[in-house]
Formats: sequence, C-alpha cells, structure tokens
Amino acid sequence: MRHFFFGGVNPAPHKESTRRKPIARMERQPSQVVIPLVMSTGEAATPAVKPGDRVAIGQPIALGQGLSASAHASVSGRVVAIEERPHPWGGVCEAILLENDGRNTPWSGRPEPLDPTQVTRELLLARVREAGITGMGGGAYSTAEKLRQAAGRVDTLIVNAAECEPYITADHRLLLERSDKILQGAQTLARALGAQRAVLVTEGDKLNAAEAVERRLRKRSGKVELCTIGTRYPLGAEKQVVQTVTGREVPPGGTPLEVKCVVLNVATVFAIQESLFRGKALTHRTVTVTGGAVARPRNLWVPIGTPLRCLLEEAGGLREKADLILTGGPMMGTPQPDLEVPVIKSTNGLLCLTGQERRPADQESVCIRCGKCVAACPMHLAPVFISQAVRQNELRKLPKLHPEDCMECGCCSYICPARIPLVELVRQAGQLLEKGGQAQ
Amino acid sequence: MNSTRSLRLPPQVGQPSNTSAMMGDVLVALLPTTAMAVFFFGFRVLVLAAVSIGSCLLFEFLYRRLTGQSDTLRDLSACVTGLLLALSLPATAAYWVPILGAAFAIVVVKQFYGGLGKNFMNPALAGRMLLATFPVLMTNWSKPLDRLPLLGVDAVSAATPLSYLHAGTLPPQTPGQLFLGQQGGCMGEVSAVMLLLGGLYLILRRVISWRIPTAYLGTVALLALLLPPEGVGSMAWMTAQLLSGGLLLGAFFFATDPTTSPVTPRGQLMFGAGCGALTMLLRSFSSYPEGVGWAILTMNCCVWLLDRAGMPRRFGAGRFSVLREWLSRLRRNLEEIRFIKPNLHFTLIKGGKMPGEEHLDQIRAQAKALSCLGAVILATGLVIFGVHRFTDLDTARAETDAQQELLSQVMPQAAFSSEIPYRAVGALSIQAGYSEDNELVGYCVEIQAHGFGGVVTMEVGVDLDGRVTGVAVTDHKETSGVGTEAMTPAALRRYVGKSGTIRSSGANSVDAVSGATATSQAITAGVNRALAIVANLDLEGGDVSYVDGEV
Repeated sequence: MRHFFFGGVNPAPHKESTRRKPIARMERQPSQVVIPLVMSTGEAATPAVKPGDRVAIGQPIALGQGLSASAHASVSGRVVAIEERPHPWGGVCEAILLENDGRNTPWSGRPEPLDPTQVTRELLLARVREAGITGMGGGAYSTAEKLRQAAGRVDTLIVNAAECEPYITADHRLLLERSDKILQGAQTLARALGAQRAVLVTEGDKLNAAEAVERRLRKRSGKVELCTIGTRYPLGAEKQVVQTVTGREVPPGGTPLEVKCVVLNVATVFAIQESLFRGKALTHRTVTVTGGAVARPRNLWVPIGTPLRCLLEEAGGLREKADLILTGGPMMGTPQPDLEVPVIKSTNGLLCLTGQERRPADQESVCIRCGKCVAACPMHLAPVFISQAVRQNELRKLPKLHPEDCMECGCCSYICPARIPLVELVRQAGQLLEKGGQAQ
Repeated sequence: MNSTRSLRLPPQVGQPSNTSAMMGDVLVALLPTTAMAVFFFGFRVLVLAAVSIGSCLLFEFLYRRLTGQSDTLRDLSACVTGLLLALSLPATAAYWVPILGAAFAIVVVKQFYGGLGKNFMNPALAGRMLLATFPVLMTNWSKPLDRLPLLGVDAVSAATPLSYLHAGTLPPQTPGQLFLGQQGGCMGEVSAVMLLLGGLYLILRRVISWRIPTAYLGTVALLALLLPPEGVGSMAWMTAQLLSGGLLLGAFFFATDPTTSPVTPRGQLMFGAGCGALTMLLRSFSSYPEGVGWAILTMNCCVWLLDRAGMPRRFGAGRFSVLREWLSRLRRNLEEIRFIKPNLHFTLIKGGKMPGEEHLDQIRAQAKALSCLGAVILATGLVIFGVHRFTDLDTARAETDAQQELLSQVMPQAAFSSEIPYRAVGALSIQAGYSEDNELVGYCVEIQAHGFGGVVTMEVGVDLDGRVTGVAVTDHKETSGVGTEAMTPAALRRYVGKSGTIRSSGANSVDAVSGATATSQAITAGVNRALAIVANLDLEGGDVSYVDGEV
C-alpha cells in the first residue's frame, strides 16, 4: 500500500553537477580545524583537553552529557586554543582549535570492532554515545538519546535517504558508494531496537543508488525494504517521510516515536555502522560543495571542523561572484556571511548561489488569494490566513490556524506568485502565539 | 566578509512565475478561443475585444490615479477582465456595451473593494451579468460563420443550443458541431475544443488548480447523466449539456479566478460542485436558458464560508478530528444548559440578601433581557403598523385585487390583463386580457355613458371575435332600487355574446329593464361604444376613431 503526503513543491533539482562525482577525500588537508563544543541540541560539551595537548584522529576532546554529544578530534595534531569562534548556526560559540600535523594518526584507544551477531541494545547505545553521533540530516538531535527512547517502542525503522533539498547530493553519493554498510547498519539497528520493519526511503532521482541497494539486498539474507518515491520536496522531512512510508501522522508537537517509528538519516546510519563494526567515532562526513558560482562542484569527505573556506578552495574556488553562500540546501539552509565557520556534524552542503539562481527579487505584490500556499503546505496549514492575521494584527484568529505546527520547509514562500515572505510571517505568528500564551 | 550581502530569508529559491506572468498565461490560454471567435464572427470580435480591454485599462488607470493609489496596469489583471468580458458578449453587441460593462466591472466590482485580490465577485462576470439585465442587448445571438460587418449590425436572433436544452430537447447540432463550435452564443463560448485547450494549458502551467473545473464539470455531467428529460438518452443529454453554452468558459476561466474562489483545496472542490449544481438547477428551472453566470456569482458570495468549511485538517490530528471536536463542544454546551430552579434552602441573611433573593435577582435579570426583546418587538410592530397605516401600499394592493375581480367578471377566460399603450377617444382605458398560456384573448374597455342621474362608468370585455364577454358597472349615480335594476348581474349577463351594434328592440337587441330605461340605454350605449372601439382597434397603435352607433 502506497501512502502520500499532502502538499509539497517541485523545485528545480540542480543535482546534475554533483550527482556523478564520487565522494573524494580532501587533497589539501586543512591546516587548522575548529571544533565547536555545541554541535547538537542540548548543552555544550565539556572540553577534555587543554591547549598544548597532542591529539589523534578519533580521540574524544569534549565530553557530552545528557542530550549533548561528545566531540572527537578529526585530525591528528595539537590543541592550539579553546576560544570563542563563529558558529554556523549564528553567533559565536566556545570551540577547540586543533592544528593539523598532516600525519592522520589514528587514536590508539579506540574501541574494538564488534561482531554483527553480538550487538545488543545496551552495547549499541553505549557505542553510539561514545562515538558522539548526532542526527546528520540537519536536526542535530543526539542519536544516542533518540535510540534510547526508541528502543523497544517502535515497530518501524526508517532510513531517510530522500534528500529532497535541491543541489545537495551528499546522501545520494553515500548511499550509492556505501550501500552495503548502510544496509548492514540498518539491519543491526532494526534488530537491536526491536523494530519489525526497516525501510530505506529514497527518491526517484536517485535510481542508480536505489539499484545498487537492490543488488545488495538480493545478496543479503536479512530484509530491509527499499521504498523509492517520486521526487517531491519536502519528502525528507521527518513527519512527511513517516506519513509516506506508514500512512501514520505524527500528532501535533510530537515526535515519530508516538506513532512507533524512528527516522534516521542515511549518513547517521552509516556513522553508527562505522562506530559499531570499525570502532570509529564520528569525525568525518560527506559535504556537497556546489552552486552555480562554484568552479568545480564536488562531493567531499571532510573532517568535521574544517572551515568552509577550505572546502571552497578544494572545489576550485568561486567561478563568479556568489550572491549568497549558505550551508545546507536552498530551501532551508542557513546563510553564512563568514566563511571561517567550520563544518559541523549536521552540515550536508556548502552552496554558493549566483544572483540568477536565487529567488527572483521582484517586489512583493498583493495577495490574489490563489491558494497555492495552502495546496503546498505539507503540514496542512493555511499560510495565507496566518499571514493575513499577523499583518492585520488579529491575534485571536491565530490559535485556530496552528502556526506552531510550521516546520519552516519554505514551500509556501517558494510557491507564492506574489512573493510574500510567508515563512517569516508564519514564524512571527508562532512567536506571537507563544507570547500570548505566556501572558495568560 | 561581505556583510553588505543581502541576507534574504529562506527559501533562497522560488518558482519563477509571478502574478503578472499568471495573468499573461490566462491571456495566452484565451488566444485560441479568441481566434476561433474571429473565424466564426469576423473581425468585429477583435474590435469589441480591443474596446473592452482598452476601457478596462482606462478605468483602472483613472480610478487608481484619481484616488492616489499605485499604478496597477502592469499586473495585467485588467487586460484579463477586459478580454473575458468581451468574450462573454454576443458578437452583435454594440461598441458601447463593453465600455459600460468595463466601467461596472473595474470601478464598482473591483476597485471599490480595494482592487486586485480584494473583490469578492468576478469583475468580468459581474459586468457581463449587469449587461444581461438589458434583455435586448444580450439575446441577439448571431449564427456562427455568419461574419458580421464592423459597423451597423442588424439584430438577428439565432436559437442557441441552450434554448433547446431549456425546453428539454436536444439541440439540432451534433456533438461534433457543438465541440468545434458551430452553435450560436457568446463570442467566447461557442468553441468547446478551444476552451478545453486553453483550460488544459492553464492547468499544466499550474496557473489554476484542477480542482474547480473538475468538480464543476463533474457535477454537471453527473446531474445530466442522472436526470435526463423524458425521451432523451442520458449520454447524449450529458454531452449536450457539457458542450453547450458558457459552461466550459465558466468552468475554466470564470470560476477559477483566484481572487473569487476559495483558497483551501477542499473549499475549491465544494465551490466547483456548488457551481455545477446551481448551473443545472438554473438551466432547468429558471426563466433564463443559461445559468452559468448566476451560478458562479452566487458561489463567489459563498467563498468565505467554503474557505472555513474547507480548512485543511490539522496534520496529525486524525481523521474527522474537526467533527469530533465540534461534537464534543456541542455536548459541553448542552451540559452548560441549566434550568432555573428556585434556590429554596433558607439560610441566615448574608450580605444583605433575603432568602430566595438570588432567585429573584435571576428573574429580574431575565425580565430585563426579555423587556429589551419586547421593546424591540414593539418598535418593529409600530414601524410595520405605521407603514401599513400611513402608506398606500394596501390601497395599491386593493386596487390590483379589484382590477383582477373586475377582469374575472367581464372576461372570465382571461387570467391577467395589462394596459396597452394606446388610447381611444371616449375610452378611459383599454386593457388587453391574456389567457394563462400568455395568449391574447380580448380587450377590456373602460367607458362612460350618461344615464338618468349622471355618468355611468363601466367595464366592457370584448373578445377577439368582437363579442361581448361581460359587462360590469364600476361607478354610477343612478337611483337605488330603480336605476340599479338595470345593473343586476342578470341584467348585465344579457349582453354577453352580443356583437355589432346592439339595439333596444328588434334583432340583436337587449330590452330595456322596465323602470330603468335611461340606465339601460346608457349601458347599451356604452357597450356599443366599446364594441366599436375594439372593432377599430389599430394594432399598430395610434388613436382610434369610431362612429357612435344608433342608440
């Protein structure tokens, strides 16, 4: 039985420039990496090293507690300083600066690889916590915490390789090149969590990866379902992917756990597999460096903490003036005015857009009530009414319109022919509602 | 670096279309239809379209300029209104017709409500329906392939397929002819194939959503399929209903106007279905053959309601959550209802209130509310009484009733009468009497003659063969008990069936009632005069001369 999610848009994919480029290691290692203490939700991790210490790849240098994840050295070398540095989420954050000695020495204290048959739930949770794995699709929620809550309570594990954002191909390439490991990881996870179903979701524009997965699936004994769905943004959003695979709707304000599902990004599953069977901590990730302004767009295997500037140099620099540089995709990505900010665990792309590629800079015009935003909203909202209520300051209308359900996927702003900044207005509505709730 | 770079909010990409591009697409989609209209009706179509678009643009420009608002010609919405208005007119329309329609559409319907996006009725359609209230203007359908000259169009009237459908029969055109457009009608509605082409273009370009046209046409098709008239095949009936008249033009171009249709997807489906049901209702039961225009305008007025009803279900709230919530609220409200019962337990006086005082307070509060209601009812009653008492609404109604009563006396076969616009010397008024089938059956002449005591006023009914159908005396000054003997129903009934000139004795005579000879003669004279007037009635109008017969 196929299920659908309502709404969504079809932005131009722009994936051609990188979808055939294999994941490459960086030719020039960054001379210095910056590892922020905040890379997941929750509090900042506590530094476990001091300036002058020597570190090796995979060595824990900051320890997380509770919701936050540990950080590990992604290069071998020396700790230079622990100081405040600009953070990709905006503002500044305490970060550990490592000087790279270029020798890539692995840490001697890393845990032993496990045998696939001996992975238990406790062992899995311990390893994932130790490896400092967070959600790598953008959510940056601690994976250990997510798995702890999910263990025994879910019947479906969803491995999300939808990657519906335009331009980005990091997950696509990872799925294509590491499909065997990802399948092994998914099977192990499903068994350890007690989920009956493991579903790998991918989109129709990644048919070669889907084919690779299918070939591997035929050889493997365990079963992982492959679910290839027509390309539509935002399939990769957690609630939409759950709805598409199982037909269940996550209740408002809830997580997929409430409908017995757990959603993990494909890169997260790969990181879990590496931590279990190779003893590796999360120190590297795939990043797509692309956009019309980039000279040689490519997919890179990047040490976490590498400044964006090094990534851009690795891709041949800018071919023309970039109108906007952002991390993540064009729909939900964060603009980065400062190229010294580092790659963190949830950075999947570096996008340099030319003026032409960006949203046409027309003047905002009046709403003609075309209703496209309502038809495009995957969260069943009516942005047109929310924006009207905000602009006319009719706050009593807001509670019924549920602006707090918005996940800021940007479909409404994307589709609006009058170019009304609907996402921003809906966000304001949510804030107003929260304020109103506190006032009462 | 580059702190000057503009940080616009996400998303950073957007679909390339904008409002004016959407309007441009509508114009493009109307091109095939316009071309077909030119092919069928000649270049007059282009001139009418140009006049219509030009006047729409002019009125929009003038209104925005005079009210000091921004210039909105660039959004092309006025062009769309103009072209749609032109295409919904008959090709025989005079050149001032679209100008009047454009003035109403742009100024009253669109700009008075705040311009693009704020109006609640489709401007072009409202303009067209205003023009439809001039019946002569909008019923001269010329035949297709009957190319019209640019100037000086004769009023020709070809039957449209809808007039056949309205009468419950299939039109003479084959479905193929209807499809290609060999039917009478407005310029834009004749060619179904071109309208379909334009509609598909709009849907594929995502300018309009598929929901409204599908729901609209689907409802019409379903109703036509289920309820064909007797003796007509349901498939043929459905095809004819779908392909004739303004249905396709309405479904693809008028009902889908974004501003005046619901924004919620479910609301759009309900809107389309409502348009379809109303169209079929009006086509079958109204006095006009076509119902698309009124159906869409009516649904335009319901859009706010459909938007509420069609609000998307909250994500994750489960199916029927709205209904469930409504039911639980209803239950809570019902539980809130408490019947007032006196508080009968007696306690010591607290806070200055006597036992039972609270109940009295309650009753007082209710009495207060009820007295307000009573005052309103009283005031309304007084107003109604005053209107009743001091205006002549009742008198007018009594007059109409008396007129009808009189008609039934003098011309029993007529169902109603109406004054005819020409007069005859000696007659106070001439009414034409019509049967229930709307056929002329005779004339009622009000006439005066001199009797014994003064003027006798009477109403004489004469049928088309020149025979008297009835006589009634409406006013007289004759002596009661003597002269009135000649006015008894029995006495008057003797005139019925007489024709020519009635004499007082001999052949073709009505004897005078004894004792009331003068009155009888007066009545006979009046009847004779009425017969003469009707006999000489010149149907082309003008004064009627008659020769007073022998009395």
